[in-house]
Amino acid sequence: MRIHLILAAFAFVLFASPLAFAAKTDGTEAAQFVQKMGDKALTSLTARELADGVRAQRVRTLLHENFDVPTIGRFVMGPSWKTATAAQKSQYMDLFEDMIVATYSKRFAEYSGQSFKVISSTPSGETDNLVKSQILQKDGPAVLVDWRVRNKGGTFKVVDVVVESISMTMTQRDDFAGVINSKGIEGLLNVLRQRAGKVAKK
Amino acid sequence: MSRAVNLSSKIMTIALCAFLVLGTASCARSVSPEAGYKTGISDPIEPFNRGVFAFNNILDVVLIEPVAKIYNAIFPSFVRDGVQNFMRNLRSPIIIGNQLLQFDLKGAGVATARMIINTTAGIGGLVDVASAQGLAYEPEDFGQTLAVWGMGDGFYLVLPVFGPSSLRDTGGMVADGLADPLRLLAHNTDNMWWYYTRLGVEGLDTRARLVKAVEDLRANSLDYYAAVRSAYSQKRQSLIRDEKAGDSAAIPDYGN
Repeated sequence: MRIHLILAAFAFVLFASPLAFAAKTDGTEAAQFVQKMGDKALTSLTARELADGVRAQRVRTLLHENFDVPTIGRFVMGPSWKTATAAQKSQYMDLFEDMIVATYSKRFAEYSGQSFKVISSTPSGETDNLVKSQILQKDGPAVLVDWRVRNKGGTFKVVDVVVESISMTMTQRDDFAGVINSKGIEGLLNVLRQRAGKVAKK
Repeated sequence: MSRAVNLSSKIMTIALCAFLVLGTASCARSVSPEAGYKTGISDPIEPFNRGVFAFNNILDVVLIEPVAKIYNAIFPSFVRDGVQNFMRNLRSPIIIGNQLLQFDLKGAGVATARMIINTTAGIGGLVDVASAQGLAYEPEDFGQTLAVWGMGDGFYLVLPVFGPSSLRDTGGMVADGLADPLRLLAHNTDNMWWYYTRLGVEGLDTRARLVKAVEDLRANSLDYYAAVRSAYSQKRQSLIRDEKAGDSAAIPDYGN
């Protein structure tokens, strides 16, 4: 009897501890994920001599690896998602991704010596971690950037970037809502197409 | 002259009371996620706001932004930081007062310690010695105090020159101005030019720090007005909550 109890306790410790361990290190893993992503972005995307096409392709790859683009895109479209047709949704997702790639390619091309440091990581909700970081500039104060990192079945994906308390996805959602409210979903797609055309010409 | 000033400050007081009453009346936030998307701040006078916003934008592009860029280019960052530190230190009485009104005794203590340390060891406020000691700057104003007391935004309001605000925050700004001991000092010694210069420098310092952010938002937003309104509303909410961690927007899990 006693031996059974001891065995049970032993089994409990054996099985329970890896779980407890996983939960505890989750925050650290999310922090490491963000630090690794930041380091990779700075080493592979910022070189001046990089051709624009190559840089854009690398940004796209990094985006796919590290960001939950479908979730972000859907959130940004807001409640109109429910009324959009399947064709509109897929066009929107392509245009949305192209817009992000264009925006960030330009940003990394203008890189001027910033460095990147993860400060802390705190759990937020059941699946998310909020990883706080600082972008240190050569000239001027540090910029505070929080990354909302979601654990999606073992792989981490960024679902929001919060710069100085301003959520980029929330701002973009409100921005797009301005267009959808006045011009509808087709109007939004047209504006995004025009943007993409302008970028391509440059 | 002094009668005219008296009268104008009376008008300001009356206007302020009107703001407070109206603000309380329109506390309720109109956010209904299902029936057509609305942003976090209600904007019933959007056409008017868009008009003022367009005017501000022109003023910014032709005058304010170029001046801010020249300011950034001429002065090295330690000089600009000195200016910011000095302007922040001048706001200390207003910050301490608002922390007390928000019953944030710890915040009031920090702000008081900051003022004493930075005014003395920080050479009249030019150096932020206190921050290095773990006493971080925390901006407070009467708009935030009203929010802590439970008042809603009222509605979004774009002020000429001053830019994005809300009914509540505009009232708060007027109240802070009226109560500011430095304004009273300037007024009583007939040195109001000094007070207006300070407002101008504060504005320049703020705008100069936002050069990159504004360029980004202008270039990357589809509806610049809506993007600025969203950013303003989020920033204010964060200031009201004193920037507690982990409060940013929850992104739903769509199961994809």
